[in-house]
Amino acid sequence: MRLFVTAARFQLRHLAGSPAAVQVCVTAPLLTVVFLSISDYAGRTDLSPYAVVAPTLMSLWLLALHAAGELITEERDLGTLEGLIAAPARLGTVVMGRMCAVTAIGVVSFAESWLAAGLVFGRWLAFPHPLVVVACLLATVWAAAGTASILSPLFVLMPSARVIQNTLSYPFYLLGGVLVPVTFLPGWVQPVSRAVFLSWSADLLRDGLDPAPVTDAVARLAVILALGSAGCAIGLMLLRRVLNRVRRLGTLAQA
Amino acid sequence: MTDRATAVETRSLTRSYGTGRRGGSEVYALRGVDLSVGQGEVHGLLGPNGAGKTTLCRILSTILLPTSGTARIMGRDVVRDADAVKRCIGIVFGGDRGLYGRLTVGDNLRFWAALYGLRGTGLRRRCQALLERMGLAHRADDRVDTLSRGMKQRLHLARGLVADPPLLILDEPTVGMDPVAAQDFRVLVDGLRADGRTILLTTHDMAEAEAVCDRVSLVDHGRIIATRAPAGIGALISRYERIEARGVPAEVAAALPDIPGVVTVRAAAGERLRIETEDTSATRAVLRRLVAEDVTEVATSRPTLEEVYLHLIGERGMTVER
Ligand SMILES: Nc1ncnc2c1ncn2[C@@H]1O[C@H](COP(=O)(O)OP(=O)(O)OP(=O)(O)O)[C@@H](O)[C@H]1O
Ligand SMILES: [Mg+2]
Repeated sequence: MRLFVTAARFQLRHLAGSPAAVQVCVTAPLLTVVFLSISDYAGRTDLSPYAVVAPTLMSLWLLALHAAGELITEERDLGTLEGLIAAPARLGTVVMGRMCAVTAIGVVSFAESWLAAGLVFGRWLAFPHPLVVVACLLATVWAAAGTASILSPLFVLMPSARVIQNTLSYPFYLLGGVLVPVTFLPGWVQPVSRAVFLSWSADLLRDGLDPAPVTDAVARLAVILALGSAGCAIGLMLLRRVLNRVRRLGTLAQA
Repeated sequence: MTDRATAVETRSLTRSYGTGRRGGSEVYALRGVDLSVGQGEVHGLLGPNGAGKTTLCRILSTILLPTSGTARIMGRDVVRDADAVKRCIGIVFGGDRGLYGRLTVGDNLRFWAALYGLRGTGLRRRCQALLERMGLAHRADDRVDTLSRGMKQRLHLARGLVADPPLLILDEPTVGMDPVAAQDFRVLVDGLRADGRTILLTTHDMAEAEAVCDRVSLVDHGRIIATRAPAGIGALISRYERIEARGVPAEVAAALPDIPGVVTVRAAAGERLRIETEDTSATRAVLRRLVAEDVTEVATSRPTLEEVYLHLIGERGMTVER
């Protein structure tokens, strides 16, 4: 756990002022403005929570994908990957600590989006269930990092990480009911959606901003955490395999 | 355990790389290396570019797997017992890569310390002490990007020492260091030797190897062709004794090759003449002749490490297969 925290703190320092983090922090409130303009134009002020929830989750997932894509690639470019692998620390813990740190920056965009809705449109969203919102955000950070970690071993093998990163953003927003609720999607897609943590996160976060009581909050949080943990388990298993392969082939130092 | 126990032991260690091209043949970086380094020994690996030194260091550091053969560090197998091996080695791979440039010197070192299991005040104290030992304390809060190459090299060294390992593997640790820094490095290695640490280092600097190593191994084409103490390494080519003389008149120089037992007569640096002889009686004959000609600046010497190296590796001509 200490190693996890150390790795996370290291990553935040390493990331400070990096383009990806800045980009996400700048775009999130703008997206809120776009969504609110559209829903206002349509006369659907009841959709305001969407305008805050969607940019937040989009930021979280984008950052998680970014972390998964850059982490190993960057270590390799810097020539630090060998040292990392030769150190006795568990690589999985270090990787997850750092992934979570990057993803957690996405929580900032929740605050930004909320502020943007209030400042620009005078729509100050209340927090009827603050505990649910906070717990859901934290669980989502873990789930996004865990799910994205499945991809990081692929990035070790494939040089064109950017392409995968970009292809995996919008399909996930759609499947995760981030932009449009899952129930609006074609019937056959819905079961698939349920396997994507974002769909659970989006629903729970919206419910957390809704005055109506939240049903089964704990169980739904557990689903988010479990999906994230499953992703993390698969991701770290793949990472171990890929690194062993690379140790055999001797391509560790190559970009 | 006695101080003569082995720290590094390899048996028929072989490593090949695929060429990446379909149908291309394998490149052999190591071909059956048997190396044994005693605990507390400073052991140098010398050899031309592509000899396989870095490959050997990588295998010993567990970041590369051998194709065949075995390697043990402190009695532990680098493949089967990699976790235990990782805990008893510090690695320093030369060059200015391998550091987090956007972070400060202190942050870099503290991160590595955490990866080696250090925590809290113990971690901070160790890092501070190392930065001071490496002369980097005043740069602790500067970004690594702003350091000179030699300073980065010293940070690498600090990193290698952070876990206080009994064995240090240094791959070209002085590359990019100025002569003063390189001299400091020798002093540092002496200090590490005094700590009782075992050091395996590769270098292209013969003077450095001669100064710091207890023994050196000459590596060529993935094989160890000789292992000796630098002082005794001349014995490898000892059938040549050697005389250097200054101010030898041209006609005398021209006559020297006719003395029985003289192998070569060559011009050397500083208007010197270098004469190699097959045995002591030839040496005596040459000396007598030189003195008779009033040549007084005369010295006999043993071949240096550099010469042995050039003799065994540099002048192999076309006789070695690839
Ligand atoms: N990842 C790799 N893939 C393919 N071939 C490699 C790889 N790494 C090294 N080699 C080859 O293995 C041989 C030994 O290389 P190595 O880097 O061990 O030499 P070295 O003694 O460290 O050389 P130098 O003095 O230049 O550092 C060379 O022929 C090199 O081309
Ligand atoms: Mg090398």
